[in-house]
Amino acid sequence: MLGYLAARRAGLDDPLRLRRVEATRRVLSLQLNADRDMDRIHANGVNTVDIEVIEGKYMLSGGADGVIVIYDLENFSGKPQYTCKAVSTIGRSSKYAHKFSVETVQWYPYDTGMFVSSSFDKTMKVWDTETLKPAEVFEFEDTVYSHHLSPIARKHSLIAVGTKDPKVQLCDLNSGSKIQVLQGHRAEVLSVRWSPRYEHILATASADSKVRVWDVRRASGCLLTLDQHNSDKSKAASEAVNTAHNGRVNGLCFTSDGLYLITSGTDDRMRLWNSATGENTLVNYGKVSNESRKRRQFTVSQGCSPEFVFVPCGSSVAVYGLHTGELVTMLRGHYNNVDCCEFHPDHQELYSAGKDGNILAWVPVLRGPDVEEESDQVTRLFKL
Amino acid sequence: MDLSQRDRLSELVEELTTSGQLKIDKEKIREVKKICKESNDYIDHVYHSLMSQLNQDHAEIRLSAFQIASELFPKSHHFRTLLVDNFQEFLELTVETNIERPLPPPQLVARKLRSLAIQTIQTWQSSYGSAYKKLELGYYFLKQFKKVDFQDAEARTVAERERETERQRKMERIYSKRLKAAMRDMEDSSPDIEVALTELDSCLKLLSHEFPLLDSLTTNSCPLTQPTTGCLSDDEQPCCSKNLMNDRTQKMQESKENDNENREEWEEKKTKKKKHKRSENEELNRSNKQNKGEMEGEQRYKMKHEDKTRREAEEEDPLHGDSFIRNSGLISRSYCLDLNLSHGLHVDETEDNEAVVSTLLDLQRLLSTKHLPAVRQWVQVFTKSGANQRLLSRALYLKSSLEASLLKLRKLNIDSQNRVNKTASSVEEDDEDDSDFIEVPEKERYESDIFGHLKVEDGLGSTSSTPAPSQHVPKSIVTGTSSSLPQAPSAYSRRMKRLKEEEKDPTCAAATFHIFQNSLTMTASSSSTSEPSSTQSNKDQTTSQAPVVPFGLDLYYWGQEQPNSGKITKSASQHQFWVPADVEEEVENKELKVESRCRYISFPGQFTPVSHYCNAPLGNGKMCKRQDRLKCPFHGRIVPRDQEGRPCSQEDRQREEQHRMKTKKKHDWHDAGLVRDIEIATGQNLGSERLDKRRKRKKNKYPNLSNLKDSANTSRARLEKRIFNKSAMRRVAETMNKVDRKKHEKFSNQFNYALN
Repeated sequence: MLGYLAARRAGLDDPLRLRRVEATRRVLSLQLNADRDMDRIHANGVNTVDIEVIEGKYMLSGGADGVIVIYDLENFSGKPQYTCKAVSTIGRSSKYAHKFSVETVQWYPYDTGMFVSSSFDKTMKVWDTETLKPAEVFEFEDTVYSHHLSPIARKHSLIAVGTKDPKVQLCDLNSGSKIQVLQGHRAEVLSVRWSPRYEHILATASADSKVRVWDVRRASGCLLTLDQHNSDKSKAASEAVNTAHNGRVNGLCFTSDGLYLITSGTDDRMRLWNSATGENTLVNYGKVSNESRKRRQFTVSQGCSPEFVFVPCGSSVAVYGLHTGELVTMLRGHYNNVDCCEFHPDHQELYSAGKDGNILAWVPVLRGPDVEEESDQVTRLFKL
Repeated sequence: MDLSQRDRLSELVEELTTSGQLKIDKEKIREVKKICKESNDYIDHVYHSLMSQLNQDHAEIRLSAFQIASELFPKSHHFRTLLVDNFQEFLELTVETNIERPLPPPQLVARKLRSLAIQTIQTWQSSYGSAYKKLELGYYFLKQFKKVDFQDAEARTVAERERETERQRKMERIYSKRLKAAMRDMEDSSPDIEVALTELDSCLKLLSHEFPLLDSLTTNSCPLTQPTTGCLSDDEQPCCSKNLMNDRTQKMQESKENDNENREEWEEKKTKKKKHKRSENEELNRSNKQNKGEMEGEQRYKMKHEDKTRREAEEEDPLHGDSFIRNSGLISRSYCLDLNLSHGLHVDETEDNEAVVSTLLDLQRLLSTKHLPAVRQWVQVFTKSGANQRLLSRALYLKSSLEASLLKLRKLNIDSQNRVNKTASSVEEDDEDDSDFIEVPEKERYESDIFGHLKVEDGLGSTSSTPAPSQHVPKSIVTGTSSSLPQAPSAYSRRMKRLKEEEKDPTCAAATFHIFQNSLTMTASSSSTSEPSSTQSNKDQTTSQAPVVPFGLDLYYWGQEQPNSGKITKSASQHQFWVPADVEEEVENKELKVESRCRYISFPGQFTPVSHYCNAPLGNGKMCKRQDRLKCPFHGRIVPRDQEGRPCSQEDRQREEQHRMKTKKKHDWHDAGLVRDIEIATGQNLGSERLDKRRKRKKNKYPNLSNLKDSANTSRARLEKRIFNKSAMRRVAETMNKVDRKKHEKFSNQFNYALN
């Protein structure tokens, strides 16, 4: 650390380098900290959390009982002990609240004045954060498993929606209507994700164990179907049988640079794909326990030199090296299955939530000064 | 870290956890603490060994491990961090947070472990919750999601409480259903019961009309009317010690009683005395009779005195007992009375009260088998389901009245022993009585006997005529034990008489029997007495001894040649076109020929009933009373035995002894522990190792823990063991297969059976 600082001071190092090192160090020291608490609002399981990217201050959480809560994560008290306040809540009493479990919540990428939530009550609601009323309600014929807004889109404002219906729906926030349907899957679509690199690229994961990559400008079909065996491309016929997993694919996540795509399935596997070519990188993460029948939200660290992936695994969160596939650590703190986790890129914090209704903040616990321990050893030496 | 210390530590933990006690040993835990104080490494070691013990599938081990953990928890920060780090698993293993991993048996200890764990976690939370985040989270998890009520004494989770309430609700529903059913039943059948009760009452009244003691008896009070004539005693309780006066009055009453023809219950007993006594004591009034009757209810007595002695006494009286007579009404002081006291009533069924008694018996059966159980059930249902007081009291009232009347009936001691025969015979009598015809025995050919009155008409005169059957059978409701005597002879004589009449009728079975008997006795007498053997008697004898065989072909052709024996004739074909080539029309069969001439006579021997007993000594000191011919199923071959049941012959005795020793060895010396105890006490080697060896393999490693497999020793488990025994299953399967195969073989060629 001191070496990096000195090098940075001397101008030998790229500023990014110090940043990355420090970020990595912090990520590796993530722990459940007594200093950080969250208000207990959710009385039931929490399905989804999302941290807004503009300030990194507010976090949305959607509960299995239809409750949506907005937390304030920023600690301005100056003390290490901090309880994240629930800024506002759309509780059961609200007439606008979702009837059933909220499956996905997401901030509007450019403004905290709006967020979108989708639920098992077959609706997706676009909320006004100020009034906590839905500005727009999209209704579907089936339960909605997930939706996603492109984080970088400038030319469109489309929301991709995965429902029980095999067709992926695209809803336009500009017109407030469902404008396009992407056909190709054979079973319910459990997860959808826009590429953070190309605004028209969309990845969808389905229960038919396929992951498809779409270009939304081209309605005729998908760009790619990910193939776990990397079989010969020339065989056009094989396109139809390409599978990403041997079970339902319920997790989907792009790396922050959009170069890689991580999928996880109920075959207890996690796979890393080159998002440009659709090639399986064949990184072996080992067994990643996954029993969820719904979408599972996992995340990738941002700004570390070897990147890490945080995956809910049973009642704990597993931390893997992204490219090595090595299990770094297990974050154990939940008392029931973990459904989602979200990485805070600015503070290198991890927020995880699960069926036990807790939202846990995993905060880097930096090593204390070494001095004391030294003195301790010295005294012990003296004793001997 | 010292290895020996470490080993000691694991040893201590194992000992503590496998002690099977609900409380852990203080000494040992102190030692553990002492070792743990030295270094964190020991704490690590203890922690890991505790976790491995907590993972054992035995609630007692878990409980002890948890207790050790709770002892160490407040002592060491390091232990706390270790434990809290793995708090999920800890909760799973102690509080049953994971439904898929329930606490292991035994149930009782598991429950205790749960409640203890929950209480302990609460105390931990209150003292360390702020410092250990995961502890706090776990506590909230338990509180919020498992809905553990920490105030609840039993520390049950919501699921359990719901189950409990659900069960209660279910029981309530069942009870209310039962209650409704019972109410409806009661509504329906209480009139029936009341009718039956009133019927019973009136029946009793009818009986008591014949027999006035009933009231006093059943009510157990003696509301006696005072005798109006003063000369007799006014005392109504004729206990034998009272004085002679009472007895005297009784006697007088009794004699007076005899005058009353309508007092039928007395007829029976005193028909003989009646004639002698009729002259006496005519002047006593009726009230005394009642009085006497009541006394009679409790007291049976027999008069031993003849009238003569009494008269003598009366004659004596004026000589020296004037004042005594005047004072006491007794004629003499020197009476000797034998009082035969017996309790209770006895009612005999007679023709007069037959209807009443049979109704009574029917009612009794009805009440005791149908109504009383029903009423009892209602009472049970009402008390259990907490029905309103009115219903309950009504049911109770019904029950008590039912029981009271049944008790009354039982006290009557209705003699229903002869009832069955009587009803059977009464049927016969009925159709005799009901017909307008005079009873005439069936006769076809000749009349060997004519009834007396007919004979008189015929002018034959009666020499040996039997007395006309007296249809009038004296009826009896008589107290005491000797009551049934007079009736029995009359019925018996009647039956005998009829039998005799029947014998004279040649068409009756009885007659043939009679003839048969006669001939038997005749032959017996003739064979024994007549040694000058007349050919006649000899022939008789031979004929009587010769076996009687059924008529057959061999007899028909006796002494002749049978014309076509053993020949089989085949009829020529009657067909129009088809004629078999050459058919030998007659075929001779040797076997058949022989067969037609011989006769099979089987000698089954004669049945002789077994007269001996098994007589083997039984456990209760008695002897086996089985009468098997050769072999008792319990005690083997039947051998002659002496008074105590020991076999008479020496070898039998030896064999028995050997057998007993063998079984005894199996039972008494079965227990290796007992043998070992005896060995220790006597210092001799009795071979306990040998006995032990067999069991050692199975022996539990931790004898203090309750054996989980033992808990499965229920009747169901034992039955299952028998029924689902491998060999038994195989045997059954084999048998079934065999049956199937047989069926298949039998019907395999018939398609409609082949399918099933």
